This record gives sequence, C-alpha cells and structure tokens, in this order.
Amino acid sequence: MSRFRQLESFRPDTAQWELLPFRFERLNGRVLVTNMVGEHVTLAAEEFNELAEKRLPVDSPLVRRLRAKHLIRQPGDRSPSTLLALKSRTRYRRLAESTGLHIFVVSLRCEHSCPYCQVSRQSSDKERYDMSLETAERGLDMTFRSPSSAIKIEFQGGEPLLNFGLIEEIVRRAEQRNRNEGRNLGFVIATNLALLTDEVLEFCARHNVHISTSLDGPADLHNKNRPRPGRNSWELAVEGICRAREALGVERVSALMTTTKASLDRVREIVDCYLELGLHGIFLRPLSPYGFAIKTKSYSAYDAERWLDFYRDGLAYILELNRRGVPMTEYLSSVILTKMLTNREPGYVDLTSPAGIGIGAIVYNYDGSVYASDEGRMLAEMGDETFRLGHLATDTYEEILTSEALLTPLEESFAPSAPMCSDCAFEPFCGSDPVYHYATSGDFLGRKPESDFCRRNMAIFKHLLDLYESDPSARSTFLSWAGR
Amino acid sequence: MGETAPDRPASVELTFDAASHSVDAIQRAAYRFSDRVSCELVSGDVEHRCVLTAFGDVDLDAQIADFRTEVLDQVLRERIRAETEPIRTMILAQAFSKTGVVDPRNAS
Repeated sequence: MSRFRQLESFRPDTAQWELLPFRFERLNGRVLVTNMVGEHVTLAAEEFNELAEKRLPVDSPLVRRLRAKHLIRQPGDRSPSTLLALKSRTRYRRLAESTGLHIFVVSLRCEHSCPYCQVSRQSSDKERYDMSLETAERGLDMTFRSPSSAIKIEFQGGEPLLNFGLIEEIVRRAEQRNRNEGRNLGFVIATNLALLTDEVLEFCARHNVHISTSLDGPADLHNKNRPRPGRNSWELAVEGICRAREALGVERVSALMTTTKASLDRVREIVDCYLELGLHGIFLRPLSPYGFAIKTKSYSAYDAERWLDFYRDGLAYILELNRRGVPMTEYLSSVILTKMLTNREPGYVDLTSPAGIGIGAIVYNYDGSVYASDEGRMLAEMGDETFRLGHLATDTYEEILTSEALLTPLEESFAPSAPMCSDCAFEPFCGSDPVYHYATSGDFLGRKPESDFCRRNMAIFKHLLDLYESDPSARSTFLSWAGR
Repeated sequence: MGETAPDRPASVELTFDAASHSVDAIQRAAYRFSDRVSCELVSGDVEHRCVLTAFGDVDLDAQIADFRTEVLDQVLRERIRAETEPIRTMILAQAFSKTGVVDPRNAS
C-alpha cells in the first residue's frame, strides 16, 4: 500500500464551476459561444461537449478562458455577474439618451432621376414639395424636446440644396436655441453635390456643417446609376468632393455608395475610385426595398447571395490594401466588429435592438408628417403610412414618441424575445429592422429563416469571425477598425 | 410517403423520445428549418412524431440528420436557459436598477 495518495486525488473536482447564461451556434465543425453581451469564444466540438456536459477540470486552460469571457464562474464568485450587469447597462445606454438623429426632409424635389431612388423624388412643384419655415420651426421644437445630450440634424431630400435657404434658417435657429440648451449639436447635409456653390461651402465652414454625398464608383457606373441632365453626375460629385474637402477639411466630407446590379462585378474598381479621391473608408451596402428601387425592379435585380459575393470580394481587397500599408476601412464591417470585439454600441440604427426607429432617428418630412425612420418615410412615398407617427402641427412630442405606430413595431421586433433570434448566438451583434421586414414580409418581425436581412447578417458575422480567427493580418486590421 | 420524386420520399416521419425531448425544443428546431421543410408535429406521452415534408427541390435526406442535430441542440439550449435563468434575471435586474427606467411600483 502506497504511503501517498494517487495524483488523481489532488486534482480539483471537475465541476467546481457553474454556467453563466450563454448561447451557441455550430460553424463548420466549431462552435461559437457568446455571453449576454456578445463576448465570445469559438470552441472545437469536443471542447464544447465538455463544457455542456460539465466535464472540464477546473484547472484546465479552457476553464480559465471561459471564465475570462464570463461564460462560466466559480460558485460564490460575484464579480462576473456584476461585470455582466455593468456591460449590459453600457450596451443599452443609448435608450436613456433617446433620439439623437433628427432628419429634416427640406425638399422632395431633385434634379437627378435615379432609378434606384428609395425616396421617390419629385421633379417639380416647389410649393408642394418644399418644407416651410413654419414646419421647420415645429421640427426644431420636437428636436429639442429629445433628452439626448448629442443632437445631429441631417438635411435630406430629394436634393436638400434645392431648399438651401431653409437649411440656413434651421441651422441658425438651432444654434440660437442651443446657446441655452448646451447640447452637442451637429449638422449634416446629404447632397449629390450637383448644386454645390461657394456660398453653400462658406456657410458649411462657418457653421461646422458636414457633407455626406453619394458616390457609386467609377464615372460610367455612377452616371449609369444616377442619371441627370448633362449625364455628368459623377463629374459634379467628384468636383464637389474635392471642393468640399478643401473648404471644410477631409474629416467633414464623406461618401456613400449604393450597390446596383451593374456594381456587382466591380467592387475593386469602386474601392479604387474612393481611394483615388482620398476617401479611406467605404460602406458596402445593398439596396433597400423601398421607393423607385421597387418600382423600377432595381431591388429585385440581385439576391442576398450575390450581394454577399460582392461584399466578401470587396472586403478581401480592402484587407489586401491594408496589408500593403494603404489604410482603408469598410464601415459595415467596422460597425459589426465594434459590437463583436468591444462593449461599445456604435448605434447604427439598422443593427440595434430595440430597433433604431424613432428612438435612434426620427424624420420630419417636408409636409410636416413625422416618420419613425427614413425607410418609413420611403414606404409612405409608396402609399403605405404604417410608420407615420403623427404630424408636427397637430401632435405633441409625447403623443409621437408613445404612438402605437412606434411602440408596436419596437416591441414586436425586439430581437432578444423574437423566435430564433432569442436562441441565436449572433444576436448580440445583430439588430431588429421592423421596417425592412414589414416591407418584405408584411409584419414587423419577419420569418427569420426566410429573411434576407437575417441571411445576409449571419453570413457577414460568420465571415468576419472566420477571418478574425484564421488570418492574423485580418485580425490586426479588424482590431483597429473596432478601436481596440 | 412522397409524390414529387418517384425514387425518394418527399416526406419522412421522425420520432423523438418524449422523456428527453420537449415539444418546445422540436418546435424551435422546426422553426429554424421552416425555409426548407414543413413540420407536422404530433406530441404524445411516450414519443413525439414529427413529419417533415421538403419544399420544392430540397433534398430531404440531407435535412434529416441536420434536423435531429438541431433538436438536440435545442434540448441543450433549453437546459442552459433553465439552469442560468436565475442568474440571468439577477444580472438584468442589477443592470437596470440604477437607470431610473424601472417603475418602483413594479419592482419586486
């Protein structure tokens, strides 16, 4: 008989730890495990089985990893629950702030005639399609009722520069009100730049107004997508970008592209076009199912899978550029990676839950109608007023923010209690889009197995995770995009 | 049995032991597969019978193993949910206790 007990008897019990709430998804032989706030690990299938069956010895390196990610804890250890509570509160902090983005549609008129236009612009009748000063003043009343410490006023259209006099007036009046309010106030004009003048630029420079424009890529592609008299939309946009950057500074001018069928094989040229103009970031985004994009069948011209090929190729090229020392960011990935790799909530309205409608952004239309989102306004231009929350002339702030038109879609689409989403390990990275699902399937929640929103997002999450885990260079770039 | 493909069934019946599979777990799995197969579920005391019917040209054989795996995963998710429910509730209560958004009349 040995004088010493066997080595086994000195090993800690296997189950001296307990589970914290987590969700999992299987990914090509591995398993993604996420905690309540999106911190995650990917495990080999056998490792996951050991976790699920509580077979892991307490001194194993994997237990240390899982504890660090708040997926398990030792009995009586209170710090994981305290930290998870703190991180959960951080994740939902924006809710207490309420609406930060206030969109003023100062005119529905536009001199472009883009077939994919999602807002169904009008080409005539200034009286009918321009916002009045009275309506704008009421919009400002509503804007400053928001408790948000940061307020951004965005001017949209049509082409907002067609009603530039009103923009000047709104900016001046907002600044005047803000002398007492002390909010962090900012302005953006979303313009195609075709009507940009020195007067506009001087005003923007004086009042710290940012410019956001549309740039779909090389000249032939952009001009095909965005027809206007003279067929020179690209030339005017590029000239405008250069002038605006000179007058306002590089950081105050940004561009957005829209993917049409003609763009699908040309993502590398599109990225190059941005780089040549000194724009070191691009938002690879698909078409939305609203406005002329539906009428002209632009939206149905390609499916989610085809767009994903476009996105993956674009991302591969952008990562290659970064490897070569050329800084370039893909903004959609950057938003998602921020959610995946940090506890910050970037507040991108399409990827938040509760949804961003009304409480992230709100729209004051040219005619005084108030909409839960820009997409809700786009639906209204197609004759569907589901997301109309009220009218600036007749409804109060309280009536608008507590209207059933807002609360019902917010509640019904809340991802943590939605079928499939409530089980989904990707949920902390994802969001709710009741307007998209209403437009495509007729209800605020949508059937997730058939939803292109779900299919597209899941594919992006998997792709980003795969690159993050398998490619050290991509991992380094992703960490910088997430601000870590 | 199937009608659309002569050499392959378009429908198949799966059985799950009722003692180790809840109806909820099978329904959650069926929902995840609802873009590929429909599921007719008959629950019983001893076993649950589940008839899967493929949509269009979906290969039903390829779905069966995945469906069974998904049901097992849902059983596991159910167990994790139940086991971690008290701490999840406690964490969320702690998270929102200082935000001012909880109505004290409803707080227990």
